[in-house]
Amino acid sequence: MTEIVTPGEVLGNVSEFKAGKGAYVNDNTIYASLTGSRKIVSPLPESLDQRAIVEVTGHKAHGLIPQPGSIVLVRVTKVMARMASVDILCVGPKAVREKFAGIIRQQDVRETEIDKVDMHQSFRPGDIVRAMVLSLGDSRAYYLSTAKNELGVVSAESAAGETMVPISWTEMQCPLSGQTEQRKVAKVG
Amino acid sequence: MSSNVSVSPTSLIDHIVVPGDVVIDLSNMTNQTIKLGSGLRQDNDAISAMRAGKFSYSKPNKYWVESSHKRYIPRTEDHVLGIVVDYKADNFWVDIKGPQLALLPGLAFEGATRRSIPKFEVGSLLYLRVVKTNIGMNPELSGTDASGKASVFGPLKDGFMFETSTGLSRMLLSSPTCPVLEALGKKLSFEIATGLNGRVWVNAAAPRSVIIVANAIMNSETLSATQQRIMVEKLLAKISD
Repeated sequence: MTEIVTPGEVLGNVSEFKAGKGAYVNDNTIYASLTGSRKIVSPLPESLDQRAIVEVTGHKAHGLIPQPGSIVLVRVTKVMARMASVDILCVGPKAVREKFAGIIRQQDVRETEIDKVDMHQSFRPGDIVRAMVLSLGDSRAYYLSTAKNELGVVSAESAAGETMVPISWTEMQCPLSGQTEQRKVAKVG
Repeated sequence: MSSNVSVSPTSLIDHIVVPGDVVIDLSNMTNQTIKLGSGLRQDNDAISAMRAGKFSYSKPNKYWVESSHKRYIPRTEDHVLGIVVDYKADNFWVDIKGPQLALLPGLAFEGATRRSIPKFEVGSLLYLRVVKTNIGMNPELSGTDASGKASVFGPLKDGFMFETSTGLSRMLLSSPTCPVLEALGKKLSFEIATGLNGRVWVNAAAPRSVIIVANAIMNSETLSATQQRIMVEKLLAKISD
């Protein structure tokens, strides 16, 4: 059975079904909490509770969200004394559908000498950085980390406006002006 | 390089230039090292002005464009007058007439610890030093000198603060003492704090003195030294009765 249900619609009774994803129980009735297709999943033969599970699958393809441990590509929006604010662009190889805010704190930029980190010598606004999600953070932003060799600035523009070439783990050079700028460079390849 | 006029560096010194004027042609000067100050930009062999102002030179090899503005661009080691606008998490946010608010760490005062951060209310006037100006970040300030001592920095109580152009602030801070301050100092006693960000604070025992000093300073921007002295005399004559 795949009928479309909306949040609040009655899906069944607790005596017949168990509430699965997208459904919740109030008193003795199971209601939908999402808009989508109602599905009934048969119970496993070994389980004690032989009620079928009713669940609602969202009809929109669920957007990708960052999870702790996933590698993300971000663009730096603001650099401050103790942290950098970023916009999360991709989770793994896929782009996200909506903007997620992230923060890279001073102590999460690298593994060694974390109290001597100069945020301005690690990131600048506009840099593209590969980072790892540490946690869901607070209500404002995910907490990210670049404290690994393969994490850090992947692409950055120099003051002259050209994409810079990495020349070490801490420096990138502008091909136009020859000036070097300091960044926390990611080890790519 | 669009201009083919060969310009010798001496021809435009102390003249007013506007953005785009080629002030130095390096192809005429070989084997020389010159230092470019603010307001100048290099395009291969042509050094052109980026700001409207006076093209200045100081021996042996420094060139720059001196200009006066209403707005202030923060520079490290400048002394500025800031107004507290907010206090969040041990940091003060201070307005210094720049494009961004500046950050003043609560600990950047002599003898400050986590427990004893000075409590400045929103609206307090502080004399501060610019410590860091990184591109894209808010400038950072401090209430101490480089060695950690309070020295001249800190809150300014009472008195009167008014705004000036950056050029006038620089004149007030020049040494030897500028004519208007010298002339005022001969007859009145007052305290003055000048910020390079275009803010000046004056304090004196009598409100009348404060007003005279403030008005004299505000009048003096375009006056020559002699004109400044005459202007101050006229103002002082009004109160000597």
